[in-house]
Amino acid sequence: MALKDFLPQMYRCSSCANCKFIPFDKVQSARFSENCPSICYFSFHSYAARGRYQLAKALVEERLEFTDNIVDVIHNCTSCGACDVACKVCRYNLDVLDHNLELKAYAVEKGHAYPRQKEMIGSLKSEQTMIPGMKKKDRAGWADGLKAKDLSKEKAEVAFFAGCKYSYDPELQKIARADLELLLKCGVDAGLLGAADNCCAGRAYQMGFFDDFRDRAEKNIRAFEAAGVKTIVTPCSDCYHAFKRLYAKLGMDIKVMHFVEYLESLINDGRIKFTKQLPMTVTYHDPCHLGRLGEPYIPWEGKDKKILNQVLVYEPRKPRYNGAYGIYDAPRNILRSIPGLRLAEMERIREYSWCCGAGGGISETNPDFSSWTAGERITEALSTGAEAIVTACPWCESNLRSSQAEDGRKLPVFDIAELVLKAL
Amino acid sequence: MKLSPEIYKEFEEIVGPRYISQDPGVLETYRCMPAQSSAHYGPYWDHMTPTPMAVILPGCTEEVQGIVRLCNKYKIKFKAGGSFWGAMAYIGSDYSIQLDMRRMRKIEIDVKNQLAIIDPYVNGAMLQSEAMKYGFSCNIPGVGCSSSIVASASGWGGVGPSTVCSGGHKENLCALEWVLPNGELLRTGTAGSGDGWFCGEGPGPSTRAFLTASMGVCGEMGVVTKMAMRLYPWPGPAVLPSTGTVPAYKAALPDNFRCYTVCFPSWDMWAKALTMCYDSDLVYLGHRQFNMFGRDLKGAMIRILTDPDKQLCDLEELLSDPEVKRQTEEMKLEFQIVLAGYTKRDMELKEAILQEILKECDAWLSSMMLEPDIENWALLYLIRLGHKNLNYVMCGSYEGNFGLNPNLWVSASYMEEAAAFKKQWEDTHTSIVKNGGDSEMGSFSFTGGGGAVGWEFFVDFDAYDKDSVTGACDFIDETEKWMAERHLGGDMGRSNKYLRQPNGYDWPQEKHNELFSKVPQPHVFAYQWKVREAINPNLLGGSYYRTLDPEMIPENKR
Repeated sequence: MALKDFLPQMYRCSSCANCKFIPFDKVQSARFSENCPSICYFSFHSYAARGRYQLAKALVEERLEFTDNIVDVIHNCTSCGACDVACKVCRYNLDVLDHNLELKAYAVEKGHAYPRQKEMIGSLKSEQTMIPGMKKKDRAGWADGLKAKDLSKEKAEVAFFAGCKYSYDPELQKIARADLELLLKCGVDAGLLGAADNCCAGRAYQMGFFDDFRDRAEKNIRAFEAAGVKTIVTPCSDCYHAFKRLYAKLGMDIKVMHFVEYLESLINDGRIKFTKQLPMTVTYHDPCHLGRLGEPYIPWEGKDKKILNQVLVYEPRKPRYNGAYGIYDAPRNILRSIPGLRLAEMERIREYSWCCGAGGGISETNPDFSSWTAGERITEALSTGAEAIVTACPWCESNLRSSQAEDGRKLPVFDIAELVLKAL
Repeated sequence: MKLSPEIYKEFEEIVGPRYISQDPGVLETYRCMPAQSSAHYGPYWDHMTPTPMAVILPGCTEEVQGIVRLCNKYKIKFKAGGSFWGAMAYIGSDYSIQLDMRRMRKIEIDVKNQLAIIDPYVNGAMLQSEAMKYGFSCNIPGVGCSSSIVASASGWGGVGPSTVCSGGHKENLCALEWVLPNGELLRTGTAGSGDGWFCGEGPGPSTRAFLTASMGVCGEMGVVTKMAMRLYPWPGPAVLPSTGTVPAYKAALPDNFRCYTVCFPSWDMWAKALTMCYDSDLVYLGHRQFNMFGRDLKGAMIRILTDPDKQLCDLEELLSDPEVKRQTEEMKLEFQIVLAGYTKRDMELKEAILQEILKECDAWLSSMMLEPDIENWALLYLIRLGHKNLNYVMCGSYEGNFGLNPNLWVSASYMEEAAAFKKQWEDTHTSIVKNGGDSEMGSFSFTGGGGAVGWEFFVDFDAYDKDSVTGACDFIDETEKWMAERHLGGDMGRSNKYLRQPNGYDWPQEKHNELFSKVPQPHVFAYQWKVREAINPNLLGGSYYRTLDPEMIPENKR
């Protein structure tokens, strides 16, 4: 859809303010009642989904020309989808996240992107990673010495896909390595993609660079197919979302699992057995792209129509992505299965979780905003009394590790696999 | 039009550069399109409220005062908004600035005096969630928990499902802090005498009636920067136990809570039951809520809303389901109540009273609404009022009409006729949703304890469809004639029309004079004119506050 195709939604948005808050049925305190990092940080109404509709309407109707500030409003969105979930508690005919992304794409198409974004896209094209400065030749270094199959030479049941952040971040490489070691130790027939292991480009999509995303995605799909990949397992939630939702939309027919799903099945099958107590209280942070945005893609082609004079419906039934069926229980089940570990939930969880601030490329393009958003999450995590925050996405982990709560305190951050390994 | 650089700088010095903007993109998002906003302005097609010269976000009372003083110095009009849902939050004239109150959000619960002292951005959900930690709840206006409590209490009606038990906002309003339109700071009631916040009437100045006015000051009279709001007991858990799959959230509350949909054979019995509820202090919450989807659609809509896998496209199939049809017919004339027992005996007594009402009124309970998941959904819905943008679920917009606010028996006696009138329009025009005519909904009472009711019929229309918008307007015009013929007073949908011009601008005083000289009690609006003259001499707030030049009171009413 082009931005102008969202014009009916721009009119039909009722300005109710629900997009600024977690679903009201879930509000437990005023402090943690809001859901949108963008308006919480920048304050102006313009930064909420409602404001973005209003802004886009003026752009489409050519009543407004781009200013630097408008570009800031458009791109300073983590694309976390919290507004979308909140809106869809009541509305069945608005897709505010899709609109936010299309607005970014419109700005990009008109030449209004940040230099840093262009740098990231440049890196995607030249080095097949969206982390500028990293080299393709160093991508597989994290797995040196592991006895995993090379899928360019032989077949395996599972293709383990670490993703850019785990591949290049020295702090996080050890986690990817441990994940793969665990799979191999459990007897999983897992391999690495070798030359076909490139950036998923999901962040290009989140920043509105739709053409660059599609270009990379189509190349990756061809490479996966050439390698005979049947199942991709990834510990990165961004990659998971890209493969599960975006690549599927482009026609990829490969099973996609997040590492936590696979891990849960290994625990359930008895292939992982815990031998140690882990007497600590932790809280779990739902990555947006695993949780509310982690629902599987369902193909749809249809049109809207009116029944009962004016009631707007879609024919045939249109898939409704509202976070209902994201991946929430697998990581919690894993944590609960670790002996001695206690899970203390935050107020904003599951489909109405607060974003870590790394989404939409914000950790690269606006580190202050990104860090503040992560700090909000640390503050919320500390309010539970937890000794650590656990998550299942390298972008979240990195962002949360480098941030601090509003009172200056920090909190240990673990990948869920780290805790599993500690208890083996 | 932009502020001059010098004036902009003066405002900037008050709030700092981060909290002021005159970027065209930001300003554009502080405009309201009438066809989008029901509460209450339109429907009009393709007009928007004027563009403010700047948007400013004050962070404290002193900053608000500084801004208002500057506005007076340069004769700049201003309007303060919180959620920006209601049209009255937006400016209505050129040479105006918009205040966005979202930085002012403090809540202090005064347990001893059973009240909350709140800032303007605090909404119903924020306040209720904090109050529940101390065993209290708050009145939430019918428009829903996303709306600002301060705006609702000082600017509009402030009436909702809980009002019959808790009282409306106007009744619960204690002391407050108010930056008057001329920039003076006024602390009313006990806050004005340094005695805390517990009383709005004194010792200290009492101006509550000025502020609450006939319908609230609608943002025209300066900015209320702090308000004490009386809370009422909440005999439930400290946190609402919301479970279920989005969007079908539900709350299984302890046994001292029940939600019933009480159904009747006639409007007479319906009205009789309401009076019995008043007399017996029976209900914790009382509303005719789900009929907003329409007499024919409510059963199917409730099935959709309580099933995470259903959508509006399931409506037609559900409407043809014999069981859903039966259930919908069973609750043709109904209202919802929530009973809350403070003790086991209290709950037993309430259940017994309800049985007596059922017997006396030939009434029954809807079986569908007693299904545990649906009852728990309805409980959560009514207590939190967090699903209020379901008002727009059908096609994006609605306007309330047949606004019947008088004595219960008067309104009830016209209900069926009004429903038939609307149904006929639905059958012969395609501009509004066809939902069975009767889409009347509203709260049990405008005041604590019962009394005058507040009902409206939901007229759903598509804001993106010009024919639908203009057709809805036509229907509201027809309604006004219909009501005038029956001497029922002005229609709600049309009274909204008199709040602003169709082009989004304020009405001039001449128009107010024309309108309010014809009402049965013009003195009310003449008095409000005097109040405005006294405290808003530069007319800096807009024209939502309804006034009549005293010279224009008709001779026969002087």
